[in-house]
Amino acid sequence: MNKKSGRLLSRRQFAQRAAMLSATASFVPAEVILPEASAASPAQDTQNSPKLSPEGQLEAESRYQQILSLYGNRFDEEQKSNLRRMCAELQPSLENIRNFKLENGDVPALYLKPLVEREKKPQPSANSQPAPGSKKP
Amino acid sequence: MLKESVLYASVGDLAKRIQSKQLSPVELTESYLARSEKLGPKLNAYARLTPTLALEQAQIAEKEIRKGHYRGPLHGIPYAAKDLLAVKGIPTTWGAKPFADQVFDYNAAVIDHLKNVGAILLGKSAMIELAGGLGYMYASASLQGEARNPWNTGCWTCGSSSGSGAIVSAGLAAFAIGTETWGSIVCPSAFCGVSGFRPTYGRASRYGAMALAYSMDKIGPMARSAEDCARIFAAIAGHDVRDRGTLPVDRAAFTLSPAGDLKPRALRIGWLKNAWKERDYDPAVTKVIEAAHKTLLRHFPAVKTATLPEGPWEDAANVILSCEAGSSFSQMIRSGKVSELTDPQARIGGYVNLTISGADYNSALRIREILQQKMVELFDDYDLLVTATQPVPATPLNLDLSKGLAFADPLGGIGNLCGLPALSVPCGFTDKKLPVGLQFVARAGDDSAVLQAGRTYQQFTDWHRKHPSLN
Repeated sequence: MNKKSGRLLSRRQFAQRAAMLSATASFVPAEVILPEASAASPAQDTQNSPKLSPEGQLEAESRYQQILSLYGNRFDEEQKSNLRRMCAELQPSLENIRNFKLENGDVPALYLKPLVEREKKPQPSANSQPAPGSKKP
Repeated sequence: MLKESVLYASVGDLAKRIQSKQLSPVELTESYLARSEKLGPKLNAYARLTPTLALEQAQIAEKEIRKGHYRGPLHGIPYAAKDLLAVKGIPTTWGAKPFADQVFDYNAAVIDHLKNVGAILLGKSAMIELAGGLGYMYASASLQGEARNPWNTGCWTCGSSSGSGAIVSAGLAAFAIGTETWGSIVCPSAFCGVSGFRPTYGRASRYGAMALAYSMDKIGPMARSAEDCARIFAAIAGHDVRDRGTLPVDRAAFTLSPAGDLKPRALRIGWLKNAWKERDYDPAVTKVIEAAHKTLLRHFPAVKTATLPEGPWEDAANVILSCEAGSSFSQMIRSGKVSELTDPQARIGGYVNLTISGADYNSALRIREILQQKMVELFDDYDLLVTATQPVPATPLNLDLSKGLAFADPLGGIGNLCGLPALSVPCGFTDKKLPVGLQFVARAGDDSAVLQAGRTYQQFTDWHRKHPSLN
């Protein structure tokens, strides 16, 4: 945490604010929870920013405001403008991931294990016997 | 000072002369050091030279070889290592000002492997700060300034293994070690006209290397030919208990017979039609790549058109890389120390990385699993996927990279997301005498396929023997 910040947040305060932003982002207009968002130029209007849906714009803006709420005094105006643009540029990637159809059983590659050779399901051998002493639960 | 033709000789040729005692490792080291001192600063190629260590290692190598204790094809061969690999007692800056005075008291695994086979460390090669992990807009995003391309010093080398590309291209060392998370070996290899090999994820230990994205970082050689890359890879590959990402012993090791055989087999080539968008191609690169395609058709028995699967693969790779880089440099971001970085984007990019949710990161990991299966199925039909390494040649030094090099790179995203091996070899020049690279990608674990294909291609072409005029 930047000691120069005039508005230090505890971990709990940060978690509460982040949770509030994410929980409310889908149905509360940006200007309600983020007064600065309506006053300043929103992500959609920033030069070279991608075109976002209103929901996407809101989410990108909430990320930007999250950064400002924690570290706002570290940035000059140009950096703030670039941060807002970068938050907007991230949005399409996140939406593309979310729009990709995943089944509940699709597991994550938590730690990359390259598929060096195609893995086959083990076939039980014909004469396989349960181990001595093994019991069904 | 040895002739330039010797300094541009392949590792294979140098090794033969060293083994037969026609070439002194000390003289070779002194010559590379002299050339590096003269040309290195003009190219911003080195983070630092290590002449004392190099000459000490060269003298040991020379004594051993005189006594008949020849360790193999890298014995007495000078090289440079990217400045994110720890070398005991020597600053390892990660290309970044906040780490300018960082010194480790141990060697990276790759440095030890090369030491054990008798290779000689000439110096640490310059790199993009933090290997570009927090983003960058300009070629100047490095503690050493912008790396200049030996083919045209008004152009960039590409990054993040920028110095490694310049060093090999300019004949300042016999080979260099680079790292890749997404494009950092193959792109500088293409821009600088050298052969660069990105191994399967987990084949070379990253112990002692700066972590950018834990599940995507790889270490590989940049050299004069595919065959040289194979020789170097054989020395650095292997399981390491200190890097949990390394593959098991029998899958990580790579052996190369003394004759340099790569177990030739008939390789089925898939010529990719959708790796780059037509609009992103520089016409001069298109011309060169079409000629390379014809060469493949002549010399490879089965060349067919192939298509990459479509999906949000690049997005998934972006999210994983951003989150993991955010984690790798979390303390630096949260403390505000990122403000000391050179590049304007790197100073703020990390803050954005930290806002990505765990749910989105996990979804990206689930997409990775699906993509891995899709690529396994694609490689049922092909042994190799081939296309241009980059659709453009080396870019001007002052280009805004966020605009000038911002085109889609699905093969880079897929290859790095799935940990697939890749090799970039020189395949010609544009009308402005800038090199163009041809990229081979294979299934995970089939590193031999890309190395064999590169070697076959280089048996019928001589682009890899061209070098820039720097005097």
